[in-house]
Amino acid sequence: MSAPVSVHNLTKTFYDESRGQVRAVDDVSFECRPAEIFGLLGANGAGKTTTLRMLATILKPTSGHATLMGYDVANDPERVRRNLGFSSSTTALYPRLTARETLDFFARINGLPEDRVAERVESLIRRFGIASYAGARIDKLSQGMKQKVAIARTVVHDPPVLIFDEPTVGLDVLNALEMQQVIAEFRAEGKTIIFSTHIMSEAEKLCDRIAIIHQGRIHACDTLANLRTATGQHYLENIFVHFVQQATANAQPSPAGANLEAHGPDLT
Amino acid sequence: MTNAPTDAPGPSRQSPWRQIGILYGRELRAALREKMIVINSILIPVFLYPFLLWVAFTGLMFVMGQTEGFTSRVVVRQPPREHSGLSKRLETNPQIQLLATRAPVAALREQIKEGSLDLLVEFLPPRQPGAALPGNFEVRLAFDQSKERSVEARGRVNDIVEQYRADWLKREARRRGVADSAWQGFTLSSHNVASRKEMGAFILGLLAPVIFVVMVAMGCFYPAVDAIAGERERQTWETLMSSAASRLNIVAAKYLYVVTLGGLAGILNLLAVILTLRPVFAPLLSRTGRVLECSVPLAAIPVAVLAAVLLAGFVAAGMMIFASFARTFKEGQAMVTPFYMLILVPVVFLQAPGIKSSLLLAIVPIVNVTLMLRDALSGHFVWPPALLTVFVSLAAILLSLKLAAFIIQFEDVVMGSYNGSLAKFIRQRVCRRPPPPKPS
Repeated sequence: MSAPVSVHNLTKTFYDESRGQVRAVDDVSFECRPAEIFGLLGANGAGKTTTLRMLATILKPTSGHATLMGYDVANDPERVRRNLGFSSSTTALYPRLTARETLDFFARINGLPEDRVAERVESLIRRFGIASYAGARIDKLSQGMKQKVAIARTVVHDPPVLIFDEPTVGLDVLNALEMQQVIAEFRAEGKTIIFSTHIMSEAEKLCDRIAIIHQGRIHACDTLANLRTATGQHYLENIFVHFVQQATANAQPSPAGANLEAHGPDLT
Repeated sequence: MTNAPTDAPGPSRQSPWRQIGILYGRELRAALREKMIVINSILIPVFLYPFLLWVAFTGLMFVMGQTEGFTSRVVVRQPPREHSGLSKRLETNPQIQLLATRAPVAALREQIKEGSLDLLVEFLPPRQPGAALPGNFEVRLAFDQSKERSVEARGRVNDIVEQYRADWLKREARRRGVADSAWQGFTLSSHNVASRKEMGAFILGLLAPVIFVVMVAMGCFYPAVDAIAGERERQTWETLMSSAASRLNIVAAKYLYVVTLGGLAGILNLLAVILTLRPVFAPLLSRTGRVLECSVPLAAIPVAVLAAVLLAGFVAAGMMIFASFARTFKEGQAMVTPFYMLILVPVVFLQAPGIKSSLLLAIVPIVNVTLMLRDALSGHFVWPPALLTVFVSLAAILLSLKLAAFIIQFEDVVMGSYNGSLAKFIRQRVCRRPPPPKPS
């Protein structure tokens, strides 16, 4: 069986007026397996969002390549996006559409066959308990309600791969827990999930494998158990610090500006 | 592991037009729920300009009525005894109040400037002494052009003096046995050969195209800013970019949406102006005894629709190019406003008398469409410039879309990295391209 997501030597550089070329993602490689939650763990500005944006074809890789369900992100972006549900803390919903209109729009624009749209929308409305406010405009909904609609929007076209980029940022504890539960349910349904976070407990609880990313590079990628064995540390927080310190110690003097801030100046 | 495509059974490939249709429907639905867009693209075109015109002309009527009600305060210096009739006419005119004063002329002129006096009438000996007959005189009217009351006083006294002069000449000629026809030589009279309908078409052609351009631009303005900068500000841009729609289809749908609202604003406004022109102008024309008939030739309707589409097509493309650099609605407004002002400049020149459709003017964007519309509303169809106008406008739209396509190929423009700065884009991308990235 082929890997749903396959990333090889992916690199992204940006030009910044004050810093010149900035390497936000540096030679990143990993693969995600079917029905797996793959965690991308890193501090703010580590390069997680840029990596995921390249996988979602929002950004083009500078070098290297990645495939999603066998489609190349650079050469076949529309097919990639049809097979992908992308959600991040910065992907908002249209405030002037109702919850139902939102789901209907994203189902259709993502290519769900017309005869399946209504049934799929209604089933998601039921599944996420949206029915009581399905006719209300998004801008009238609470944060928790919006979050449910956002999750339903992400999966409305039933994609095999889901990307959640820091999905719990800005959510209260209950909503964050609900989000974690939903993500676990998607895994149970056989979806491949890439989950990026800087919250260690989330990664620890949810992820089947974890990649530790720091300054645009992946420094470790394995199951939590194997990472514990490799580092001799129990807590993920300590494991993360271990790899970051190791990376810092190994870091060679690099050209001015390189790798300091993983994101380009305007792409955070 | 192999990487052969493993397409899921669910989502399927769509035709571009279907995608554009879905995106367009979403844009329009959301826009019609946005107060600002509904106000600027629908309500203002329908109500504002007819209302403004009505307010302007009603205000004008009111001011004229007020001015007529004033009594002009006039000081007369050294009226000639031989022409006591003139003094009498001034004294008996109910709109003139003669003030008795011995103040020097300089002081009276100061009073006129201050506004406490409207007019000083001085009777002076004629400037050419040799040619003067006994009793001849020159009337000098000192007034302040910047004061409405003073200008009105001057007009009133001027009319009385002119009338007195004509009557005096007539009387003197009769006294000397000369018939009116003998000394008058010729008389002047005028007759307007334009029908009511033609007068209506003339006024419509003068006003409507200018307001039309303003309205189309205004109709495009908010949707253009909202469709790109607004989308970024609301953070829905990334949501849309991660959908299966192609970039080109997203931009095409947004463009069609902006054109729709711009064109709609133009057509609604045109309709409103046509329907309200007669009642708006009626009070003004009733003073001159003229009547307007506002009807538009049937053939002008498709021309007006075509003009709206062409104009909106060009304006929308231009505005979207500028808005594409903005990250917030405010930045978008700041970016698009200079372009908005720029497209109104050529319209100002159309008010110059004698400007007509020509092949030369047909190659100037905006001016050409405006002239085509003006001609159509006036019932004149000048086909060679009109055809050239359509061709040039389509070329301008294509060129703008090409430029837009060139700009959106830059990832950082798509991501809104230039913070509303066109200069930053030109500096980084056009003048000084960054060096290619080094291989990792």
